[in-house]
Amino acid sequence: MIRDLAAVAVGGALGTGLRFALDLAFATDDGLFPLSTLIANILGSFVLALVVAHLWDRSPLWVRAGLGAGLLGSFTTFSALAVAVVQLADVDQWMLALIYLAATMVLGLAAAALGLRLGLARRARLDLVNE
Amino acid sequence: MSAVVVAAILIAGAAGAILRYLTSQVFASSPRFPWAVLIVNGVGSGLAGTLAGLAHIGSIDPNLEIILLTGLCGSLTTFSTLSVETIQLATLKRVRTAVLSVGANLLVGIGAAAATYFGLIGLAT
Repeated sequence: MIRDLAAVAVGGALGTGLRFALDLAFATDDGLFPLSTLIANILGSFVLALVVAHLWDRSPLWVRAGLGAGLLGSFTTFSALAVAVVQLADVDQWMLALIYLAATMVLGLAAAALGLRLGLARRARLDLVNE
Repeated sequence: MSAVVVAAILIAGAAGAILRYLTSQVFASSPRFPWAVLIVNGVGSGLAGTLAGLAHIGSIDPNLEIILLTGLCGSLTTFSTLSVETIQLATLKRVRTAVLSVGANLLVGIGAAAATYFGLIGLAT
């Protein structure tokens, strides 16, 4: 339990740091349409799906906790998405708010589907080699 | 930005991740609906809306705002678990639960952020 929580904390700090670095790298003047959050959510969905399909059932709990709940859970975010949509609506950029939301959902879910598919395919190939 | 602020963002991020992990452990035995993600996304988005509202009316220190907004709220909430769980539910032919979960996260998360953000700005004017 302590080892799992420590892994979540270390992963969480790392994931937050990477997301913050993306925020700084893709900072926009007006702060509207945060590209960094969109990139983090798509990339994080893809990588989480990949590792869930590829290594989850042969990884110890602390690895799953640190990598999944910690690193990738913290790298991606929902609150920044929600606040971005609200702030775009606040300045009457309704169309941009809708586009931002739709882009996150469609690309994020597609990235997760692709990651699961690739992870399972890679697993199947490895299993074949190990037989 | 000072190194102290960056360190505080990372520590707040670690705290958010632990709170989210503990929430997921509480609901680990109820696999019918992904409640844990909905709860952390709702609570974290509501807190984020509050912070963004306070920033809008200029009554929060910018350093504290980024520590709590990017660190705590950003890390307490998650998108990757939502997207991966949704695709897994769809793969298991539980499409109705998948659609309900996504809809509930959008409604509760954005609703909580909007209510707190606009509520605070309304109170201040």
